[in-house]
Amino acid sequence: MSVLSVQGLGKSFGGVQAVSGVSFSVAPGEMLALIGPNGAGKSTLFNMVGGQLQPDAGSVTLGGATISGLGPRAVARQGVGRTFQITATFGSMTVRENVQMALLSHRREIWCFWRSVAERFGAEADALLAQVGLEAQAERATGVLAYGDLKRLELAVALGNAPRLLLMDEPTAGMAPAERVALMQLTRRLATERGIAVLFTEHDMDVVFDVADRILVLDRGALIAEGDGPAIRANPAVRAVYLGTDAGSH
Amino acid sequence: MLAVGGLNTHYGRAHILQDMAFEVSAGEAMVLLGRNGAGKSTAMKSIIGLVRPTSGRILFGGRDIAGEAPHRIARSGLGYVPEDRRVFADLTVMENLEVGRQPAREGLHPWTPARLFELFPNLGRMRDRPGGRMSGGEQQMLTIARTLMGNPRLVLLDEPSEGLAPVIVQAMAEAILALKAEGLTILLAEQNSHFAEGIADRATVVEKGRAVWSGTMAALRANDAVRAQYLAL
Amino acid sequence: MSSILPQLLTGLATASSLFLISAGLTIIFGVSRIVNFSHGSLMMLGAYIGWSILTRLPREPEWFALGVLATALATAIIGVVLEMAVLRRVYRSPELFQLLATFGVVLIIQDVTLLLWGPTELPLPRPRWLRGFVEVAGSRFPLYDLVLIAIGPLVLGLLWLALNRTRWGTLVRAATLDREMVAALGVDQRRLFTSVFALGAGLAGLGGALSLPNASANLGIDLSVIADAFVVVVVGGLGSLPGAFLASVLIGVLQAFGIVLVPKITLVLVFLVMAVVLVFRPNGLLGRPQTEAREATVAAPVVRPAPPALRLLGAVTLALAVAAPFIVGGYYLTVLTDACVAILFATSLHFMMGPGGMASFGHAAWFGIGAYAAGLLLHWAGAPMPLGLLAAPVAAGLVSGLFGLFVVRLSGVYLAMLTLAFAQIAWAVSFQWVEVTGGDNGLLGVWPPDWARDPRLYYWMALALSVGVALLLRRALYAPYGYALRAARDSTPRARAIGLDVEGLRMVALVIAGAACGLGGAIFAYGKGGVFPTYISIPHSVEALLMVLLGGLQTVAGPIVGALVYTGLADILVRSTDLWRLVLGAVIVVLVVAFPEGIAGAVRRLWLRGREA
Repeated sequence: MSVLSVQGLGKSFGGVQAVSGVSFSVAPGEMLALIGPNGAGKSTLFNMVGGQLQPDAGSVTLGGATISGLGPRAVARQGVGRTFQITATFGSMTVRENVQMALLSHRREIWCFWRSVAERFGAEADALLAQVGLEAQAERATGVLAYGDLKRLELAVALGNAPRLLLMDEPTAGMAPAERVALMQLTRRLATERGIAVLFTEHDMDVVFDVADRILVLDRGALIAEGDGPAIRANPAVRAVYLGTDAGSH
Repeated sequence: MLAVGGLNTHYGRAHILQDMAFEVSAGEAMVLLGRNGAGKSTAMKSIIGLVRPTSGRILFGGRDIAGEAPHRIARSGLGYVPEDRRVFADLTVMENLEVGRQPAREGLHPWTPARLFELFPNLGRMRDRPGGRMSGGEQQMLTIARTLMGNPRLVLLDEPSEGLAPVIVQAMAEAILALKAEGLTILLAEQNSHFAEGIADRATVVEKGRAVWSGTMAALRANDAVRAQYLAL
Repeated sequence: MSSILPQLLTGLATASSLFLISAGLTIIFGVSRIVNFSHGSLMMLGAYIGWSILTRLPREPEWFALGVLATALATAIIGVVLEMAVLRRVYRSPELFQLLATFGVVLIIQDVTLLLWGPTELPLPRPRWLRGFVEVAGSRFPLYDLVLIAIGPLVLGLLWLALNRTRWGTLVRAATLDREMVAALGVDQRRLFTSVFALGAGLAGLGGALSLPNASANLGIDLSVIADAFVVVVVGGLGSLPGAFLASVLIGVLQAFGIVLVPKITLVLVFLVMAVVLVFRPNGLLGRPQTEAREATVAAPVVRPAPPALRLLGAVTLALAVAAPFIVGGYYLTVLTDACVAILFATSLHFMMGPGGMASFGHAAWFGIGAYAAGLLLHWAGAPMPLGLLAAPVAAGLVSGLFGLFVVRLSGVYLAMLTLAFAQIAWAVSFQWVEVTGGDNGLLGVWPPDWARDPRLYYWMALALSVGVALLLRRALYAPYGYALRAARDSTPRARAIGLDVEGLRMVALVIAGAACGLGGAIFAYGKGGVFPTYISIPHSVEALLMVLLGGLQTVAGPIVGALVYTGLADILVRSTDLWRLVLGAVIVVLVVAFPEGIAGAVRRLWLRGREA
């Protein structure tokens, strides 16, 4: 049984077809990579799954329930966590408070005007921070965190919503090669432990071939290939539009 | 041609560049290598004047340009290609090039749109397309072409390979090599040492705002200690 | 039916005037990202300068045209001076400080104009040709209005050519998108900005001079025009020239027909149109989503509860405040009561502006609505004070909630402009609806009942209410709601991604802020014994902003300190000089220019420097 199922998804902007007829699914604990040239429609596809955009055609279902047509907030409530290409955290809060916000939201305690936040879910937040290795930085402001730590904080915040599906938009952009692999292996471990399905876009082919169970290749809004690492690497169409001639040589 | 010495730059209280020093000779391609946040982009921005250095020298053609306004530095023959492309999304390709246009420079074959379209044939086929409706690779070509319209003697290229599909990265490397062959001096900033290998003659490794190693690309290839410690390879 | 065409033409003539003023505003915003509050003042200067020039020239049409162009040129030169002296120095300041600096300019120009031309309005004696009529569909239509109708599209066409067919225009459009990059490509932005500002100021001057034959030069032009221009620019889409034209036509024609059909609520009608447009097109008719300015923004510091020493200080201050009536009396007790009201005024604005991230230039609207709610209840229904004090926050909260329905999705600049426009409309209603509000004379006899007449008792009541509300607001800010509100401000996409209802959070913040402010208005009204349109005036709104910014946005105690300091300073200033606008304006401009990162930011920087040394 798949967590996420996308059927015949399509979207056009002002007459230009950005995404058309895309179908795929992701299973619990599976890491699915979405690759393709810039402008191939990856962001559009991603935003349709995350609720930021409404599709013109097709459907998105999460655990059997349709989520296409819902806004980003409702999609999040259904159990979709998300990290952003440009890290987005709450800058006026500490690392722990960032995670507490996700927990408070998940437990529907946001509309409380009286009780102090300091007393709510501190221990649970610390436990999540420990899972991503940030427990020592719980009291720090997010503004002073190193880039790689911010990415891990985003991961912990996304986990606070107990997601069934995790959407990661270029999770390793701007990181050093060794950090990239470390972050994605951490994601891989959490996904396996918690049975979370992960859909991510990525430009670093080392990362993709290293951690993805399956790879989707998008070009001009349509899926042109789907398969595991070796199959994608050998696919002539993918080499022509995306990987180029020296694929995998580094 | 370009000599940076004792350069310090702060963002608020954060001390980003700490006594940064390196040189670029006329006609060569030099690469600043280092991880994200090492200070490569800040070094580039300090040179072009978008960030005001707190202290230090930036000699360009023998003149200290540290602390000058960006437009004066650009007019003196320095071209800057930013890391996130920053094409003018509402302007057409031709208009983007027009913004970059500066008078011809003595001793240089002046760049014209026609000459640039020979270098980047793709751009010639979309002269009236707005920058915002181009793919990432096309935008990267446009941003380089736009800078060349200013007829620079030296170009600062900040991570031209970031976020691009491998097949585009190859095309980009070829274009940059063509420019180098024309005699343009290049200062490149990269995390991707694989990309830099094909282009640069020399490298300066940057870590926490300092230049920690400097030498030829061949020497860097041979130096496993530096590669492991600073480049996480 | 025969009246449709003349009305339409009248509307189009109005549209031309609206377009001239809003075109300059929108072009300047496009390039500099500054919403120029003083744009209406430039138009006012245009009217006065135009009057001075035109009354000295021969009265033939060609001399009129020449005089109008000379006025535009003179205003453009004033614009250049203004840009070089003030705006150039605040391009890197936070948005709010830029708005504040240009508002300082508004105050300065007010007093300077008063000094130079005097308080009486100056009508232009109209020569024969200006009084001419033409036959249109069987009715007489003023010739001059036809001239105006032609000027609007003419200016639009010329501007379009300049922006799309010249190198200067290409550079301006590029700078609108990314001014830093333009500089890095070798373009001198300073000259570019100055030229754009001169053009915008010249257009405002042109509008001012051209308005003379149908109106007069008077001191009310600046704020009434800027509110209109804000509405036009927001409806058209910020930064869009064709949008400004379209919106001008829409609003001009609507006003012309509105005056015939429903004379009393024309202003409200304009606001309704704006509301409808924004519901369907949140970025205006032809506008696009506002991208964040491409400059490094400093993240707000982490908010932590006050240290024990500060709490002790607060407790001591409170004890002193409670004991005050035994120490001082008479006049100073009135000032202290005003200070209590100021605390409500400032903390309520801070609530939505600091943690909520929604700046307001019309906070006095809620103050006034609260005051009028109490006053009208007493005046028309004889309701006692406790009922009035209850009705005030309810009324202000309801109206701010209604207002919020339309604006809660908008970005910062739009919101700031709309709050101002809304407050200006609320002011106009209170001023013009004489039958109900008493107009300029206000509602008198709004006194507390006998048991609360004693100034000491009234002061204690005001103190209890303001401190109580301030503590409640503080409590909410440290509760999950306050954190969530801050989260929505820090990163909207992230807040949505963890399931926060961003619009709902903001909406509630608007209602709470409106209600708390409305309570302050009612306390003020009973304290002064009356309600007047000045309660809603724009300068009063700016006072709230000054209090909050004086104290700093990022601390909960900040607005309270700011309210106390401001009340004290203003008291001294108003008692010592007639030119208080000039002084206040100059102080604002100097403060913003001297501390471009904000006063709190400057203190913080000095503090850190002291610790590092």
